[in-house]
Amino acid sequence: MNLGKVVFGFFVLLALTLNFGFFLGEIDNPAHHNVYELFAALVVGLIATVLKLGERSQMGAVLLASSLVVDLQLIAAAIVWAVGAHMSPDGLTPALMASIVSLSGGALLANLLSVVLLTLETAGLSR
Amino acid sequence: MIDLKATPATESLLFLFFRRMRVPLVVLISAYAIATLGFTLVPGVDDEGNPWRMTLFEAFYVVSYTGSTIGFGEVPYEFTAAQRMWTIASIYLTVVAWLFSIGSIISLLQDPVYARALRQARLARSVRAMSQPFYLVCGYGDTGRMLTRALTARGHPVVLMEQKREKIETLAVEDLGASVTGFALDARMPEHLVSAGLRSRWCAGVLAVTGDDQANLKIAISARLLNHKVTVHARAGSREVAQNMRSFETDHVVSPVDEYCRRLRLALEQPDLYRLYHWMLSGPGAALPKHLELPRGPWIVCGFGRVGRAVWRTLTEAGIETRLIDPHPDREDRPDGTIRGTGTQAETLEEAGIGTAAGIVAATSDDADNLSILVTAESLNPDLYLAALENGLSSHDLFEAAEPDFVAQPSTVTAGTMLGRIASPLIGPFIDELLKAGNESARDLLACLLKHQDDRPPALTAGRISANRSPAVARAIERGEAVTVGMLLTDPRDRERRLPLEALLIKRGDENELCPPDDRELELGDRLLLGGRRGAARRVGSTLENDHSLDYVRTGIDHQRGWVWRWLQKNGAAPAPEGHGGEPRG
Repeated sequence: MNLGKVVFGFFVLLALTLNFGFFLGEIDNPAHHNVYELFAALVVGLIATVLKLGERSQMGAVLLASSLVVDLQLIAAAIVWAVGAHMSPDGLTPALMASIVSLSGGALLANLLSVVLLTLETAGLSR
Repeated sequence: MIDLKATPATESLLFLFFRRMRVPLVVLISAYAIATLGFTLVPGVDDEGNPWRMTLFEAFYVVSYTGSTIGFGEVPYEFTAAQRMWTIASIYLTVVAWLFSIGSIISLLQDPVYARALRQARLARSVRAMSQPFYLVCGYGDTGRMLTRALTARGHPVVLMEQKREKIETLAVEDLGASVTGFALDARMPEHLVSAGLRSRWCAGVLAVTGDDQANLKIAISARLLNHKVTVHARAGSREVAQNMRSFETDHVVSPVDEYCRRLRLALEQPDLYRLYHWMLSGPGAALPKHLELPRGPWIVCGFGRVGRAVWRTLTEAGIETRLIDPHPDREDRPDGTIRGTGTQAETLEEAGIGTAAGIVAATSDDADNLSILVTAESLNPDLYLAALENGLSSHDLFEAAEPDFVAQPSTVTAGTMLGRIASPLIGPFIDELLKAGNESARDLLACLLKHQDDRPPALTAGRISANRSPAVARAIERGEAVTVGMLLTDPRDRERRLPLEALLIKRGDENELCPPDDRELELGDRLLLGGRRGAARRVGSTLENDHSLDYVRTGIDHQRGWVWRWLQKNGAAPAPEGHGGEPRG
């Protein structure tokens, strides 16, 4: 067992589950989407990215790319949320909420890809 | 998947950097996340006294400015005691995280492994950016230093490879004419040679002059295998290594001992040829050796090391009676009649018959002994021909002061011989022809060259008669007009004068002609070696390239005026201007 692989797998998987939890629910209903979950997904995603920095293999490069996509999407979602909650006169409207959730949905796809790649890599190793 | 191809050095540095930054970055992200989260959980009150909590956005704002120790105060509302406590915690958390990350970056940059990798990546980049022919010099001892100085003085960039870092560091204080890139690497490793630009298309030559024969051999064979086009010059200390190098077509092998003996033998038998040879093949700082009539008689050799042995053999082969002085006369390979001693004492020298001797060769491996032998021998017999071996550059001034008639220093001999041949591929054939031609023609050539210059060695220039290199001459030859060597050596501004140049060699196919006469006609494809005053060869360029100049030196008719003058001249209205006569003068 390789502790580094455990930690990395943990963070990749956690990023996916947190993101999925945030994504779940009616797309434009703010009550269904907890902003703390978005925050946690972003932080875990960032850590997963850093853990993949400096990896030389082809698989490592694709994993790094997909985590970067996750970070980008979630940061965009967080900015939209901050704009909605603090700057727009109408507050967090359903339209803004829908765009936050759809951004996190994009990140979810990239998260999913990371997990699939990780699984493939592990399966390849055991063969 | 294993990638067998080597990753470029810069890329692997980036990977190394990121890998080392993983932990600090994770710590930083976690510290920020914890501090931000804490602020949203700690209860506070707004300006009207209602319970209030920060949102994530406000919390991140507060953490951002406290973490970077900017500190705007308490926004948006004044903090409660609980919030202030969390502020204290978050400040220490984030500031410590920052210190840790910055500390890791600094320690990474100071890491000697990383610093070396960074330096090498930078050097490799500067070699890749090279855009003119450069030489790769392996070994920065006396020979390497001399080669580097001479090559940079000619304007060639040099890439140096030397195992000892201290020697490379002395480069920083040397004032050299062209760029020198110094690698502190072991040149025996082929990959080091490649990173120093061995495979670059601008690599003009590899000079293997380390102090280690096996290293030179390894460099020569790596260079031959990894780049077919590059010319390889190597120093070989022993005959076996020299033969080994020649066996895989090393372009030029210099064996300092053989070279020393060759020069000594030339000095004994063909003094003028020796003067010319030594003058042209001792580097740019060489002075013309004085002309000396050698006394015939027995010679004394002091020391039976590698050089002493070779000198003894050379002298014996030349039919000269030779006496040997050596501290170990009983060893089996010493010739009979060897006198015990070093030669530094008068008694030993007298025992060897210094009074009637013609010359002495001080060839011990110790410079102080050699100097002492010279001084003692000269006081005993002032007419003696003094030859000395100089082992290191450091005692050069002393040797100058002792004024031996023949001094050779292995590093100068090696560097000079290499430099002579590097300038052009025609110089090799020229030297061979010169050695074949003998003393008489060497004397004539020397007299010709000395008309043009002082005792600095002549500057050599090689050229080719072809449509590309000399379009005007090529056109004239195609028209069937005769162009001779003498025409090229005529001053294109005044055909009455001759440029301070001599034609040393014409190479036509496989045939070489030494010192072609002035009326020798040129043919397409001829390669020409000119020697003479520095900078004079540039003026030949205008004759080679410009039809008018060529016409002028051929016929004396100067067409270089505008069409008005030409029209007037055709109508006979204008007298030809003074000094540019329409008719050849004289």
